[in-house]
Amino acid sequence: MANQEKILIARQEVQSALNEELTELPRRNSNKINEGIRNIGLRVASILTLILIWWLLSLFFPPTLIPKPSETFTEVATIVSTGNFFSGMGSTLRRVGVGFGIAMIVSIPLGILMGTLRSFESFFEPPVILGLTMPGLIWAVLMIMFFGLNETSAYAAVAITIMPMLAISIWQGTKSIDKDLIDMSKAFHASPWSKVVDVILPQLISHILAAIRYGLGLAWKVVVVVEMFGLSNGVGYQVVRGFNIFSMKAVLAWAISFLVVMIIIEFGMIGWLEKAVTKWRPRAEAWRR
Amino acid sequence: MAYVRVDGAVKFFDREDGTDMLVLEKVSFDAQENGITCLVGPSGCGKSTLLNAVSGLETLDQGHVEIVSNQSDAAHLPRIGYVFQDPRLLNWKRVEGNLIFALKGMRIPEEQWQERIQKYLNLVNLLEFRKQYPLYLSGGMRQRVGLARALVIEPEVLLMDEPYSKLDQLTARKLREDTLSICTRLKQTAVLVTHDVEEAAYMGDRIVILSARPAHVTEVVDNPFQPVARDLDDLRFIEFKKKLLKSVLRSMQ
Ligand SMILES: Nc1ncnc2c1ncn2[C@@H]1O[C@H](COP(=O)(O)OP(=O)(O)O)[C@@H](O)[C@H]1O
Ligand SMILES: [Mg+2]
Repeated sequence: MANQEKILIARQEVQSALNEELTELPRRNSNKINEGIRNIGLRVASILTLILIWWLLSLFFPPTLIPKPSETFTEVATIVSTGNFFSGMGSTLRRVGVGFGIAMIVSIPLGILMGTLRSFESFFEPPVILGLTMPGLIWAVLMIMFFGLNETSAYAAVAITIMPMLAISIWQGTKSIDKDLIDMSKAFHASPWSKVVDVILPQLISHILAAIRYGLGLAWKVVVVVEMFGLSNGVGYQVVRGFNIFSMKAVLAWAISFLVVMIIIEFGMIGWLEKAVTKWRPRAEAWRR
Repeated sequence: MAYVRVDGAVKFFDREDGTDMLVLEKVSFDAQENGITCLVGPSGCGKSTLLNAVSGLETLDQGHVEIVSNQSDAAHLPRIGYVFQDPRLLNWKRVEGNLIFALKGMRIPEEQWQERIQKYLNLVNLLEFRKQYPLYLSGGMRQRVGLARALVIEPEVLLMDEPYSKLDQLTARKLREDTLSICTRLKQTAVLVTHDVEEAAYMGDRIVILSARPAHVTEVVDNPFQPVARDLDDLRFIEFKKKLLKSVLRSMQ
């Protein structure tokens, strides 16, 4: 009896030792969290350093050339509180959004056709390459001359600047589509709609997102130029207005608030979208790609 | 249920240099109702091509494929379930989403979906993983999803193209057992393609031996063992396997 109890106790000890070992395993995680905090800290420090340098420079230059950071942020607060910021930013975002929409509607089918049909590929390759090479600023000028100083030229300039890039990504993405999955979808008699939505587009989504990221960078530049040329609202217009009254403070305030919105969209929204549409992919797989 | 009759199937492919390559040289065989017919032959002989022709993915240059179903309405398209060598799942869809893809494709009324998904995922032992994404599953489990996707449409004919060849030996063995018992239970008409003679002896009620390319049928062997009596360690079964291996080797010369 006593012996058996001893054995039991010994077993329990072994068991609890094993359990302890198990609970020790996840420890590495806390390191990762520390690392994460450190990285965020470094980023914050980097931004603070930039502001510090700005502030130092502002001590040596007149405020018409380099205004103080505090004054500039006050100006930011003013444009935000008066609602100017939202109407100006809204116009700019609408132009980028509509231009993007047009570009996607044209480029996604075009890219898919170029990736699937040889004849489409050969026919559209030259214009797409030419379009890609053309600087966005020249597109902006051309569109303004063609459509005049109105919304249409802004939409068109954004759309035509990013279209080639979007088409190329989707064209290349389509060429790398898994043909076996297409055969599978044929074997199960998937409808053409289901083939596109369930089989083809999901394979293109990461290409499309990468193209959107890159396209946004181009679109911001183009839309601001069109607005500078002669639209009566939007971020570009506000910057030019600041320039005309020679208010460095106003120019910087608009530039900074625009920057913040762009960063929120590019890293916040697109990043979130990326995560949402790739949650089917385990981490390790994501690394390998 | 249904049976398959392949009659004088001829298929050419284009070589890189533009010349014709004969892949199927008048292949004829029957796949009987309520049983598994194994097509066994060396790699590259044209087995996948033959199976694709049966499914309608590939057209033949001569000969024809007939799928005779007791649902003898003329407009009726035969329902064919296909299990591929790689699972070929839509990795961005959950397990049940992959089954729905097939149900939708085969125009199965939506009110039957849930019941069928339940039934066939249960059959392949994956019910608890119905909400999981395929890349989070092991290779064997993914292949089971592929099997469930083929079964969920309640196919008249189930086609399987070397479905175990990419799995490790233990997983493959278990999956073979399970597939055999499921097919027996469902009285499923099935055609299984393999280059593995042991697999053919174990799975096939009828074994059709194909020659090296261009493929033609060299011999048809009926399995003397009932599915439940196929014991890989049984001496008589091993004897049968050896005999089959000899026939296959002979056909390759
Ligand atoms: N679409 C195709 N075009 C040209 N040749 C092909 C094509 N598909 C298969 N082949 C060739 O046909 C032969 C038979 O292929 P396959 O049916 O896949 O063989 P198995 O499945 O028996 O290994 C192989 O030599 C292969 O290279
Ligand atoms: Mg094959």
